[in-house]
Amino acid sequence: MDNVSSTSLAPSSAPVINRPNVTQVGVIVWLGSEVMFFAGLFAIYFTLRSTSPGLWEHQTAKLEVPYALVNTLILVASSFTCQAGVFAAERLQARRTGSVLQFWKWGTVEWFYLTFAMGAVFVTGQVFEYANLVTEHVDFTGDSYGSAFYLTTGFHAMHVTGGLIAFLLTIGRIFAVKNFTHKEATTAIVVSYYWHFVDVVWIGLFLVIYVLK
Amino acid sequence: MRANSNLFWILGAFFWAADIAYVLWSIIDTGKPEWVGLVGMALTGVLSFFLAFYIGRTRSAQGGDVPQDRPDANVDDGDPEMGQFSPWSWWPFTLGLGLTLVFLGLAIGTWVSFFGGPLAAIAIVGWNYEYYRNNFAR
Repeated sequence: MDNVSSTSLAPSSAPVINRPNVTQVGVIVWLGSEVMFFAGLFAIYFTLRSTSPGLWEHQTAKLEVPYALVNTLILVASSFTCQAGVFAAERLQARRTGSVLQFWKWGTVEWFYLTFAMGAVFVTGQVFEYANLVTEHVDFTGDSYGSAFYLTTGFHAMHVTGGLIAFLLTIGRIFAVKNFTHKEATTAIVVSYYWHFVDVVWIGLFLVIYVLK
Repeated sequence: MRANSNLFWILGAFFWAADIAYVLWSIIDTGKPEWVGLVGMALTGVLSFFLAFYIGRTRSAQGGDVPQDRPDANVDDGDPEMGQFSPWSWWPFTLGLGLTLVFLGLAIGTWVSFFGGPLAAIAIVGWNYEYYRNNFAR
């Protein structure tokens, strides 16, 4: 028995612990890879910016910074409403216990609906911004600024849209069960991880594209 | 998990130090920073710090070390309920097929994507609710 590390007779001294949730750790590792995806996009943007500064000066003058700032604030606020939904999920509270206006008694479903609406406003706002920029000759294929602008913000908008679908699927899961369990709470929490990530990426993009120019 | 966390802290510090050296070198060599490496290494550091922070937080929330980190633990200490894992499913294959058609369409003709998109949407919903329907409804 010398080559056996333990026997069934040896009492264990390992304490009882709250084991890490494999879904949550897995999502965080995946979000780490998403950081690198956006690293590639930022690298594209900065490289093109350093090679054609004149073009950047000309095209960034067309950006409507106050409009984008309002849109940004809506997205940032949606992260807070999303987190309120997570706090409700951690209480295992799916639905509101008060009236619709008593938001302090809301459950995960109500908070996630509000977050969905704010995210949808953000994407809609970007669609109008794109339409406006195209009329001012910032085109996807027109020049390197247009390519960099639409690639970075467009891939971000696709991530936001994916997050919106994830919110709907999460709400659907909560509607599908009679009892809100830890499984539904895990779904809500990992969707919130993703949403916060997308929000932080946008703050980076906003600072680079609209503030730094 | 303390070792895992520390490894990522070390990696993050390494990437940031390497980034600083790289930027200084490129400025000395060409007079301006090289942006791909600058952004790439900076965010590789962010990636590492992000994982180090999260693993550290996870470890402090679990109130002790997991059995696989303890030399005095028994094998069956690490045998709890691990979560729900699907034994098999057709939905990942369906989603793969749908996305294949979407990207094939981008390459050869957009009309193909219009067949792949709905298939991918059905697969996403089917995969998400596979364990919420029929026998698994609760």
